[in-house]
Amino acid sequence: MPALARRWGRRFDALTFAEMPFTPLRKPLRACCLALITTGGVHLREQPPFAMNDPRGDPSYRVIPADTPYVRLTITHDYYDHRDAERDLNILFPLELFRDLARRGQIGSLATCYSFMGHIEPPHVTTLLRRIAPQVAGVLKQEQVEAVLLTPA
Amino acid sequence: MGLIARTIEAAGIATISSIGLKAIAEKVRPPRVIHLKSPFGHPLGEPFNRAQQLSVVHDALRALYTIEELGTILEPGWAWRRQTYVEPEDWSLP
Repeated sequence: MPALARRWGRRFDALTFAEMPFTPLRKPLRACCLALITTGGVHLREQPPFAMNDPRGDPSYRVIPADTPYVRLTITHDYYDHRDAERDLNILFPLELFRDLARRGQIGSLATCYSFMGHIEPPHVTTLLRRIAPQVAGVLKQEQVEAVLLTPA
Repeated sequence: MGLIARTIEAAGIATISSIGLKAIAEKVRPPRVIHLKSPFGHPLGEPFNRAQQLSVVHDALRALYTIEELGTILEPGWAWRRQTYVEPEDWSLP
């Protein structure tokens, strides 16, 4: 296993839970409202970049409207090689692919999407767990999102 | 990633996470995972390979319906660059 993966593995020990929730998806895909969430550090060019100067990570998130064109997006993340994702964001945060699917009626709709930077260590893990993640889950519910595709770096 | 996925799932929204490295998927434990054996930064494939990206997305969305056991890590078995991908036509899921 690559050294980077081993290091990530150790870091994620803190996040391993014995019990996990599970929500079955019952609606057909063509009627589902979907959202995308990445932890690849994507953000609008005019939004503040993720804080790379804090070695414990940045637990904040950026709201990415579903109709955002790729030219308005950039990536701030020093911990992985995102050159390919910058050439074609569909490999990391596939807004265009999902807009196509929605246009063709293959999914119901694409809701507002969200981006994080991942790589979060204590004490920011607590902030993410207690405040940030429930906040995002709440707005997804409000927007009647039924399923989410998550893509890490 | 796992923490965010679990929190969303706990709110009553189904999640599927596309993860390149199985070791990470096993540690962060999102509710449902599709494991691609892809390099970092490529959770859905390679740039400009639309057939590959859509094949992975299709597998991921299908997994929302087929995975019934919590913590399942699905292995579609794509051979990455050695695979010939065809854009999926039938999206009528489940």
